[in-house]
Amino acid sequence: MNLLLATIQETWATWTTHWHVWTQHVPMLQSRLTWGAILLALGMWLLLPRGGRRGRAAGALLCVAALGVFASRLPFLGDWSHQGVFWLLAGVTVVAGLGTISMRSPVYCALWFSLALLGTGGLFLFSGASFLGIATVIVYAGAIVVTFLFVLMLAQPEGNAYYDRISWEAMASALSGAVLVFLLSVVLADTFNSPRSTLAAQAPAAPALAKGVLAPEHVATLGGQLFSRYLVSVEVIGVLLLVALVGASAIIMLQGRTDARGRAARGAAEEGSPQ
Amino acid sequence: MLELFAIPLVKIVVLIGALMTVTAYLVLLERKMAAWVQDRRGPDRVGVPLTKIRLFGLGQPLADGLKFLFKEEFTPRHVEPLLYTLAPVVTLASALAIYAVIPMGDTLPLKIGASGANLSMVVAPGCDVGLLYIFALSSIAVYGVILGGWASNDKYSFLGGLRTSAQMVAYELPLGLGILGVVLVSGSLDLGKIIHQQADSGLWFAFTQPLGLVVFVVAAFAEAARLPFDLPECEQELVGGYHTEYSGMRLITFLIAEFMHMVTVSFLIVILFFGGWHFWGLTGSGPVESWGQGILRIGVLMAKVFGVILFFMMVRWSWPRFRFDQLMSLAWKVMLPQGLLNLALMAVLCEPFIAERIGSRHWGVFLLISWAVALLAWLVTALVQPSGPENSPQRVEPSI
Repeated sequence: MNLLLATIQETWATWTTHWHVWTQHVPMLQSRLTWGAILLALGMWLLLPRGGRRGRAAGALLCVAALGVFASRLPFLGDWSHQGVFWLLAGVTVVAGLGTISMRSPVYCALWFSLALLGTGGLFLFSGASFLGIATVIVYAGAIVVTFLFVLMLAQPEGNAYYDRISWEAMASALSGAVLVFLLSVVLADTFNSPRSTLAAQAPAAPALAKGVLAPEHVATLGGQLFSRYLVSVEVIGVLLLVALVGASAIIMLQGRTDARGRAARGAAEEGSPQ
Repeated sequence: MLELFAIPLVKIVVLIGALMTVTAYLVLLERKMAAWVQDRRGPDRVGVPLTKIRLFGLGQPLADGLKFLFKEEFTPRHVEPLLYTLAPVVTLASALAIYAVIPMGDTLPLKIGASGANLSMVVAPGCDVGLLYIFALSSIAVYGVILGGWASNDKYSFLGGLRTSAQMVAYELPLGLGILGVVLVSGSLDLGKIIHQQADSGLWFAFTQPLGLVVFVVAAFAEAARLPFDLPECEQELVGGYHTEYSGMRLITFLIAEFMHMVTVSFLIVILFFGGWHFWGLTGSGPVESWGQGILRIGVLMAKVFGVILFFMMVRWSWPRFRFDQLMSLAWKVMLPQGLLNLALMAVLCEPFIAERIGSRHWGVFLLISWAVALLAWLVTALVQPSGPENSPQRVEPSI
């Protein structure tokens, strides 16, 4: 048994040395994140609905492995209870995000999307931004996705054509998604590793946080900011939404009028035409 | 560890156990009430099992629960099985999770943990966004309805689901507007702080914001789908609703969640508008000092909530149900303008009165103005009748 373990260790050591020698000219290949991104691209490509059922389980496994690789670079939060809650929320969010793009029925996509939004809201709550977390749930999961669901359910997925239920350009989208995730995590890993990097320097100091997001009455602070410093933006957005509302009503009213006119014209034509 | 996990877990277990039991007995109360209104006897047979002791029918909820439990859990072949099972779970979970921020009293002088603070009667004490959290969860409850209707794969269920969710979405607006006036005056979204505010001033928001109270109560009836607004499940005129295809445990999960919504909005009405645990000359207003005071505050809150629930049950047998177009025009043509008026009025009155530029002896002026505006608004609504019953025979355009 010991002999076997020793052999495995030795082989592992030799292989890793070989590996380092081979890849010393391409330092990117030595980074775990690169391999995570490659695994993620492959996994997402297999997972996306491309028609048949081929390789979707393998794709899911590859995606989970890639997520594990990315997660291994995250710093420990210092407390197992915090860490556990974080893993739970982050896992739910990311897995639900993968579910959003990999389902064939649009209704299931929308449901996974709402689960991802719930996870995001939980992550906001977890980091102390309770208003942002609740607002995400109310605005996105509670209003926007419900509207999506209405449309999707009324559109009847059974009646959809084949080309509506597969993903177009699966390869390109999987690759670009993986590249995006890779770049973001490289920047983040850089921040975690060097405490004096630019992002860390720009982060607000503890007293500012205590007065801002972490204050017990931070909703009042937020409201004050919105209606003093950002008043013009709030007003402009309000006017924009009002214009959109008026436009929608105008379209509906115009449509009703043209329908009535068309009906009247048809009625006149029927009356005028000899039986 | 104790404060992070153990105390909330104990609170959650006690709360959910109590809620489920109380809900079962409130159903019995509702049936007794129906019997009383309709001059019947109501359920009075079931008592202690295997004996002949009747005990005023107190065994009825247990028997009903067992009946639902042992019924065949029938899944029709045409449903979407995953979502069909998930829908009642989502509904009940969101209905229960709301209770995380609802205070069941003030505090009890029981020191646990390192902080040395009183034991709070809320699962998540000091939640700064408590009211928004309730709104978020009530918008999640819409999912259960839509999914239940759609996954049943039956046009009556689906239409029922659309009807219900349209009603819930439409009445969320007046519900929020009714709350906004309270939030504006009290300056907080934390339910505990809102109660303390009313206790300190001794003036419940029901007296200072009559317009907001009516808007909120009507919207609460619609959100809880209680009788004048119970289109989600009007068995007589429209086929059932989103739960037409459900039976057994899953059906009772939906029904419990719906009943629990009524209890939730009763708590909200009492906490936001009727002073929560406060009663003049009985409970005091500051922090809790003795066990007696703490328990008295719990008792006062529960008594008020019970009163509101009785009101809900009386209303059920007092008004006929709205038609769907009447329900919608009530929401958009009556409740929305009144809610906006209440919000504007509170914003205007807040400026001189709350900032204490005039002083607290002018509360009488505040009351006078708000009641005058409310009476005027109700009078105008009654004269204009924007949602008056349009029952004249309508000429239907022949479709081509």
